Amino acid sequence: MLAAHQIATFLPRFTATTHEAPKPRRIAASVTGLSKQFGNTPVLKDINFDIAEGETLVLLGASGSGKTTILRIIAGLERPDTGRVILHGRDVSDLPARERGVGVIFQSYALFPNMTVEQNIGYGLRIRRRNGKEIRETVDRLLELVRLTEHRRKYPSQLSGGQQQRVAIARTLAYEPEVVLFDEPFGALDAQTRTRLRSEIRALLRKVNVPAIFITHDQEEALELGDRIAVLNAGRIEQIGTPQEVYDQSASEYVATFLGRANLVRGVHQGEKVTLVFRPEDVRLGDEQLRGCHQLGTGIVKEVVFAGAYERLSVQVDDTEIVVTRMKPQTNAQRLKTGDRVKVGLDAYTVLAPLCGPLRISAASAVNDRFSAENAEVRRGPQIKASKESDLLWN
Amino acid sequence: MSAAVSTIRHVQGFDVVRPLSIGTLIFLMLPLVFLPLASIFIFGTSKGLPRFWSALTAPEAIFALKLSLATSFWATVFNVLFGLFAAYVLSRYSFWGRNALIVTISLPTAIPTAVAGFALLLLWGPYGTLGRLLAPHGIHVMFTGGAIILANIFVTFPLAFGVMKAVFDTMNHSLEEASATIGASRWQTFWHVTLPALRGAIVTGALLTFARAVGEFGSTILVSGNLAGRTQTAPLYIFAKFNEGQIEAANAIAIVLALLSFLIFSVLFFARDRMEAK
Repeated sequence: MLAAHQIATFLPRFTATTHEAPKPRRIAASVTGLSKQFGNTPVLKDINFDIAEGETLVLLGASGSGKTTILRIIAGLERPDTGRVILHGRDVSDLPARERGVGVIFQSYALFPNMTVEQNIGYGLRIRRRNGKEIRETVDRLLELVRLTEHRRKYPSQLSGGQQQRVAIARTLAYEPEVVLFDEPFGALDAQTRTRLRSEIRALLRKVNVPAIFITHDQEEALELGDRIAVLNAGRIEQIGTPQEVYDQSASEYVATFLGRANLVRGVHQGEKVTLVFRPEDVRLGDEQLRGCHQLGTGIVKEVVFAGAYERLSVQVDDTEIVVTRMKPQTNAQRLKTGDRVKVGLDAYTVLAPLCGPLRISAASAVNDRFSAENAEVRRGPQIKASKESDLLWN
Repeated sequence: MSAAVSTIRHVQGFDVVRPLSIGTLIFLMLPLVFLPLASIFIFGTSKGLPRFWSALTAPEAIFALKLSLATSFWATVFNVLFGLFAAYVLSRYSFWGRNALIVTISLPTAIPTAVAGFALLLLWGPYGTLGRLLAPHGIHVMFTGGAIILANIFVTFPLAFGVMKAVFDTMNHSLEEASATIGASRWQTFWHVTLPALRGAIVTGALLTFARAVGEFGSTILVSGNLAGRTQTAPLYIFAKFNEGQIEAANAIAIVLALLSFLIFSVLFFARDRMEAK
C-alpha cells in the first residue's frame, strides 16, 4: 500500500496534453453509426470514424473485435444493420461492392491463379472495357511502381508472398480506388519479411497518396503503419488517435495494455476509481532520490531478465509489482540484481478516471510548468483535486 | 504418379514382404481384371485381323458405335452445363430442402440402372404418365435416340454434379469477392474467375459422364427398344450378337469399347496428376 500523501503528488498538477490546432483535412471516407449483429451476437456498436486524403488508418483489435466486419462493410461485402458509408462525399451504403470503387487487399491476396501478373493487374481495367493501349500503359506503370516488371508473365504461384502482395496492391491501384483496405496483410508472413514489407508498403502508400485502412491485431504493426490508430474492443472503438496519442495517452486500460506493456496502479479518489498507467520504459530506478521525475517510492527488485536490446525488471513497490525496462546505458551505469532496494520514479504517466477521461502527465511538463493546476482541474472536472490533503486511497 | 511414397524403413536388409505383397496383388488381379481384358484381345484377333476388321466395319456395328458416341456426347454436354448450374446453386445458396435436393440428385448412383430405365418407361412410355398424353400428338419419346440420351443423363448426372460441387464447396471465396470489389459483375466474375477454377472439374466430370454413358446397358436396353440399326447402342449390340452366337462380331465392338475406356481413364489419371502438381 502506497502512502496517500505519496500518491497525491501524482494527481493532476501539470498536464502536457497537446493543444495543436486541428489541421484542415479533406475527408476521403467516413463511416457513421455502423452497427451489426450476427444472429443475437452484436459484433459492431456505433462505429464512427473518418479518414483524410492520403491518410493511413489502422483498425487495431484482437480477433473477434469486429475489425474485419468493418472492412467488409466498407467494401460492400457485408451489409450493416445501421450506419452509412461515405466515400468522397458519395453515400455508397446501398451500392453493391462492384460499384463502390474500393480496393481490398485480402489476407490471402486472392490473386487469380489462372492469370499472369500483368493480367491480374489489368483485370479491373479490362472489365471496365478500357482500350488496350491504356491498359498496357497503366499495367507498365504499376509494374514499375511495385518493382515486378521482370515477373510480369509469371503466374501468382511462381511468386513469393511479398511479391504476390505487391501484385494485389497494383491490381487495386490500377482502377484508382477511393480507398484501399488491407485485411491483415502480413498475417501469413514470417517476422522478418513482415518488417520489410511494412516499410515497403508505407513508402508505396506515401508515393501514391491513396487513403488506406489497415486491419491488424499486431500493435507493433499498427504503431508503425498508421497515421492514426483506432483501437477496437468488443465491437466498439475505444480510442482513435495518432500512434503517440494512443500509446502515451491511452484512453482506457484496454488500450494501454493492448498497445504494448503497461503498469496499472489502481486507486480510489473521493469515491471515484482512478488508475495510474505508466509504461515500463517510463520508470526510473536509482539509489537515491530521483530528480526531475515523480516519486513512486521505494521498491525491491524481484527479477532481472536480459532481453537483448534492453533489460526487463520486476520491481515490488509496496504491494504492487511493476515492470520496468532499462536500456543499456542505464543498465551499465547501475547494475541491479534480485533483492536490491531501489528508489522508483516515473518520467510520465496517465491518470485514468472513468468520469473524466485520460490525462497525460510527464516530468517534462513539470519542469516547464506550462500548464497550471487549475487548468488541469477545469478540464478534468472536480472529481480529482491536486491537493496534498487528498484523501486518496490506493487499493 | 508423381510423389512416390517413401519405403517403410523399419526393416534391415532384404524385406521379403515387399516382393511377396506385390506378387500377391498381381496374382489376385490376374483372374479378376487382367485375364478377362486380355482374352477380349486374344479372342478377337485370333482368326486374323481381316476377320476382325470386317466384323468391326459391319454397317450395324458402325451404327451402334456411332449411336453410342452421339448419345453419350449429348448426355455429357447436358450434364456438364446443368451439373455446373446445379452445383453452383446448391453450393452457393442455402434454402429449405437443399439437402433433400442434393440427396435426390445424387440418388441415381445408387439406383440399379434397370430400375432407372423402367422408371423412364413408366413416365414417357406410350402408356406412361406423360407419354400417354403425348402419344396422340405423334410424339414418342421412348424407343428413340432421345430416350437413350434421357437414360444416360439420368444415370450419369450425379457424376458430373458431384465432381463440380466438390470444387465449388472448397473454392476460396475471396477470389470472387476480390473480383467483385475490383468492379466485375456477377457474370464477369463467373466467367473470368469461377469458371477457370472449375476447368479441371469440368474435364473430369465430362470424361466420367462420357465413359459411363458409353457403357450404359441396363437402362438403355429398356428405353431404346434395342432395334438394330435404329436404337441399338454398342453395349446392346455386343449383347445381341452374343445371343445370336456371333461371338466375333460382339468381340470386335468389345475391343473398341475397352480401348475407349482405357483411353478416357488414362487421360483422367494423368490430367488429375498434372492438376494436383500445380
